[in-house]
Amino acid sequence: MTYNELTRRYFEDACEVAGVLIGPDCFRGASGSRAQGTWVQFDVQVDSNAHPGTVRAVRFQAFACPHIIAVSAWLAEQAPGREIKAQLPESVQSLRERFDVPIPKLGRLLIVEDAWMAALRAAQAARSRGAE
Amino acid sequence: MNSPSCVYLDYAATTPVEPLVAARMAECLGRDGAFGNPGSTSHIYGEAASERVEAARAEVAATVGAEPAEVIWTSGATEANNLAIFGIAQYNAQVGRHIVTVRTEHKAVLDPCRELERRGWRVTYLTPDRSGVLDPAEVAAALRPDTVLVSVMHVNNEIGVIQDIASIAALCARSGSARLHVDAAQSIGKCAVNFSELGIDLLSLSAHKAYGPKGVGALVVSRARGVQLKPLQYGGGQERALRSGTVATHQVVGMGAAFALVNTAPQDETLRIALLRDRLWDGLRSIGGVLRNGDFKHSVPHLLNVSFEGVEGESLLAAVRPHIAVSTGSACTSITQEPSYVLRALGRDDRLAESSLRFSFGRFSTEADADTAVSVVKRAVERLRRIGGA
Repeated sequence: MTYNELTRRYFEDACEVAGVLIGPDCFRGASGSRAQGTWVQFDVQVDSNAHPGTVRAVRFQAFACPHIIAVSAWLAEQAPGREIKAQLPESVQSLRERFDVPIPKLGRLLIVEDAWMAALRAAQAARSRGAE
Repeated sequence: MNSPSCVYLDYAATTPVEPLVAARMAECLGRDGAFGNPGSTSHIYGEAASERVEAARAEVAATVGAEPAEVIWTSGATEANNLAIFGIAQYNAQVGRHIVTVRTEHKAVLDPCRELERRGWRVTYLTPDRSGVLDPAEVAAALRPDTVLVSVMHVNNEIGVIQDIASIAALCARSGSARLHVDAAQSIGKCAVNFSELGIDLLSLSAHKAYGPKGVGALVVSRARGVQLKPLQYGGGQERALRSGTVATHQVVGMGAAFALVNTAPQDETLRIALLRDRLWDGLRSIGGVLRNGDFKHSVPHLLNVSFEGVEGESLLAAVRPHIAVSTGSACTSITQEPSYVLRALGRDDRLAESSLRFSFGRFSTEADADTAVSVVKRAVERLRRIGGA
């Protein structure tokens, strides 16, 4: 298996954004299963002070191949400051191309998307409840 | 390639050719060497090559306790396995069409068996115990009046477990019709193989696992027990008409030289290698959540196969790959990985099978190599477990 430079870099540096976030402003989404070979979890912390409605920090955990770890780490790194929206910053297809993920692993990218969406949806829902 | 930054610990996959072996091979290639066709004994060029080929045959035979006339040159152990399995099956097609083998055999045995199944033969696949050891009683129970072949490898290529060939051979001999084929590609230089004493009918050998060249091997066919088989290819009638085609003088000379060197290895080399393996195992087990695959007692000293809990297989390999050259418990295609069928047959689940690494030591391995492997794997496993939240 070969990996492009971006995948190698984010796989090697994944520890910097790996972990969990716990607190009243943190929201979790997970997808996949370790038994099936791919599991991803995102913890999203929302900024409720300086920039309300934006992401303050993201941490992830993943039992997955290097491509999925790299994509998850990249998403976590890119997120701070972005608006809380239940969607990936770019399409699955675009992520696949950016990280040169083989087509047979497309299903694993959908697991990343599901985990990401679940975390952001939870954050969105909490924000909506707060606005009511 | 000599990469000082990447430690080679994959001697079970292949070994570098010994300089002395390469020198003997080179003597058969050039105009001033034994370049003649060894089949052309009508002139001195062919005669010189033939003498080299026969000397190599004697060296290989002596190493495995066989007669030189019993050694049939092939392109490697895969061809030897194919020749043994198809050769016996087709020669005995009117006697019986049942074969017994083991789920943990190399693909070069399992795939020919599957092909014979497609052609109407019946194959019984035995399952070893969870440590990889096959109980000879399983073989006894599987033998039938129409069994013509039992194929059991001597040393497993993934887990290093040594099977009780002597007991299985005795069972086959008693059966009357079943011939015993043994794939010994991993055995040479690691544990003793005596073809005639063990009572083996057919023995597959490879040169490149024993510091010889790739592309050459042999099938040893017992003359004492009157083993007959049908060839796979026809042509000039070389190799007792069992393997037609011009014998590659330099290749077989290289194999002979490599096998001869096995007998000159220092007596304490086996102990040295075993200590390296134990040093590696002691280091790896300290990580925690590490499972050793294969029987501890009945295994060759140079090989260690371990699974790591809570770690994804492809990521583990990607993390260690820049630093150590090892094999994984998954068959890696260009895009996906399949868990090792050998480890699955031992009862490991897919995740543990995928997260296994096979370390194999050789003549040039050192304590520093073992220590590097421990430190690289420890770092990778701890990092991946942290990322995975394990």
